[in-house]
Amino acid sequence: MRFGASLAMTAALLTLGAAGLHAQDSVPSGGRAWWDPGEGASFPQRLDYDNPTGTLRLFNRDGAFETAGHAFFEPIGTNGRACVSCHQPADGMSLSVRTIRERWQATGGTDPIFAAIDGANCPSLPQAEEASHSLLLQRGLFRIAMPWPPRNPFGEGAIEPEFDIEVVRDPATCNLDPQYGLASANPTVSVYRRPRVVGNLPYVAHTNFGVGPFVGKTGEPTLRDPATGLPTSMNLMADARTATLATQAADAGITHLELATAMTPQQHAEIDRFEQQLFVAQAAHGTGGSLLLGEGGKAFGPENLAAGDVGVLGNNTTRWVFPVDPAWATPQPGLTDEQNEMRASIFRGQQIFHFRTFWIRDSMHLNTVGLGNPTKRTCATCHGMHMTGLDTVNGWMDIGTTNLPWAREVPLNPWNDEQEVMPLFKITCHDDVAPHPFLGRVIYTQDPGRALVSGKCYDVGAIVMQQFRGLAARAPYFSNGSASDIDEIVDFYDRRYNIQYTRQERTDLANFLGSL
Amino acid sequence: MARNLATASLSLAALALAPSAAAQGRLAFVSCPIVRDTSSVPCWLSEYDGELYYLGIQTDVSAEFNPPWLGHMALVEGAPKAGNRICGGLVLDDVKVSVMPELSPECDTVLMAEERYELGFEPPRPPGPSGGRLAFSPPAAPPPPEPPFVAQTFDVYFPFETSVNFKTPNALQAVLAYAEAVGATRIEVTGHRAAVRLSDGTVLEEQPGMAARRAREVAGMFRGLIPTVERIDQVVDESAEPGDWRDRKVAITIYP
Repeated sequence: MRFGASLAMTAALLTLGAAGLHAQDSVPSGGRAWWDPGEGASFPQRLDYDNPTGTLRLFNRDGAFETAGHAFFEPIGTNGRACVSCHQPADGMSLSVRTIRERWQATGGTDPIFAAIDGANCPSLPQAEEASHSLLLQRGLFRIAMPWPPRNPFGEGAIEPEFDIEVVRDPATCNLDPQYGLASANPTVSVYRRPRVVGNLPYVAHTNFGVGPFVGKTGEPTLRDPATGLPTSMNLMADARTATLATQAADAGITHLELATAMTPQQHAEIDRFEQQLFVAQAAHGTGGSLLLGEGGKAFGPENLAAGDVGVLGNNTTRWVFPVDPAWATPQPGLTDEQNEMRASIFRGQQIFHFRTFWIRDSMHLNTVGLGNPTKRTCATCHGMHMTGLDTVNGWMDIGTTNLPWAREVPLNPWNDEQEVMPLFKITCHDDVAPHPFLGRVIYTQDPGRALVSGKCYDVGAIVMQQFRGLAARAPYFSNGSASDIDEIVDFYDRRYNIQYTRQERTDLANFLGSL
Repeated sequence: MARNLATASLSLAALALAPSAAAQGRLAFVSCPIVRDTSSVPCWLSEYDGELYYLGIQTDVSAEFNPPWLGHMALVEGAPKAGNRICGGLVLDDVKVSVMPELSPECDTVLMAEERYELGFEPPRPPGPSGGRLAFSPPAAPPPPEPPFVAQTFDVYFPFETSVNFKTPNALQAVLAYAEAVGATRIEVTGHRAAVRLSDGTVLEEQPGMAARRAREVAGMFRGLIPTVERIDQVVDESAEPGDWRDRKVAITIYP
């Protein structure tokens, strides 16, 4: 099933010509493809999966390998999960809500991804009931249990937070749960977040431009690699709580896989080696054809990512964030009119991304780092890292995805039966610290983000941005899954910053994002 | 509204009570910032006593001038440069702008671009992608120190009521370089709290505790950074005599 060829896809590849697709060692797939923990399979050097926008490709730079016995693919914990459970190849090494729903249907909710520890709204809920997993099934969100007050990342004990936190709404029940909640014996804040992409990680974990002893946006000390003592990018997790791939794996082993004992050095090495060489990106567009054919496909496909410069700023005219060649703007011979039109749209989207200015306002850790509030800039200002659209510096900021009034909330009125699924917290910043620069002393949020680690008032709702690769394969988006498709990503920014995109601009931008 | 109140509070009598600022030909006032769009980058202005002052333009993180924030008042300190106007505002030399921490939602003026207020010069950084470099080059690093090494004190400055921020790491570069070069054994960080006499005679003091916070946060930045350092001492000077931006600082003494 996983490697079953799709006739339609095969025909499309033949139409496009196979030269750019490495047909001899890529494996096209025709449909959904679930990797079970411990199934033992071959992971080829190139592996293609269809998705609604086109074709995703995974590229193992070090070549094909067998997954049997590999720590990333084996259920090394006690709950039957492996890392691959929540980082599925067909989903761009994340996990789409579509796949999650399929797994619920296929297994009657017994797949290990629904494990009580974090695959349920709360471990204390009846696990056989679908409603107990509503956040995972509706938004693709796993529970992240954060100790309160936060632990001191640089020493023993806890840090003294600059704010108080109250639970205003708890539809998932865990924050008010007597065993798991904020008032429990081990005070815990449960937030719900999307699994991040395990691919292109040399970019995410780079130690190049913008990574130094201090966080470039705040001046605070940077988390260091415990193995080397060197500063880290702090861009791995939504709240930057882990320093390196190794510490993340160790943390995930305990919190997600429920390991009985710590990972062995060999398991760590296997996972690290795999993660350092896997690249993921769209390689073909359903309408535009191969993204790698013809001139100027340097922005696309995982092979170009594998060959790209890691950790460099791309928000400039000498090295673009996403280097789409201007040749895409004009029809190229050998392509159909439809393909040329789509390529021109993707190119226009790239131009919008780099050059369409708008007023960026009231965004913590962006407007506060020397640009002023508001600042007239572009998408590429924040999403500036060459080839990924990540932030090159430690990248948490608050654009309003989890903080009210911008976060998505179900409207309350007598005619609407829908209930909001996300928790809501009230944050009250203490009088002896400066208020949040844009939200004041009282903040309502679905997820305090970085503030659950730093304890800082100004970090409330600040989330580490994610890479732009393989978006088409892994909806929904944002850390709280609040954008159900790529159009809703564009829509969020349009509303948030009053950009006033034209219909054509929205289409072009969505086509561009869907091709990355 | 607050901007109007601030403007209204200015009086000639008050000006007469402000000898230090007046003597230096400098203004110090708290007012709402104003942003004016242009065909390129926006420029930043502020109004005081019926006059519009030009503060600077949007560039990037490398700039000495960082634009203030709508939604907040700003403390503006600078010397008017007679006759020189940009974006319709009288230029202030050696301008220092501090964002006041409390929210002031009334500070919300965005002026549309007008041809007569175009910049008249090429901004060092456009509003989109750069030409491949930061708008401003960092200052050249000082030559490495030579023995005999001596204790040396470095001052690091802050905006009003602000401690460690995105600019602090750069400001510490010279300190760290010296400490590493001389094999520092002890670092003493003295945090200062300051006050400024505004042009209307009002004295604006930083919050009590600001000196301790600055000392604590800057000392924390050195922790574990230089292997030879055995001690990091914090000294707090909470006195707040009216002065200027040079009093909002930490003094860092590096002992070989």
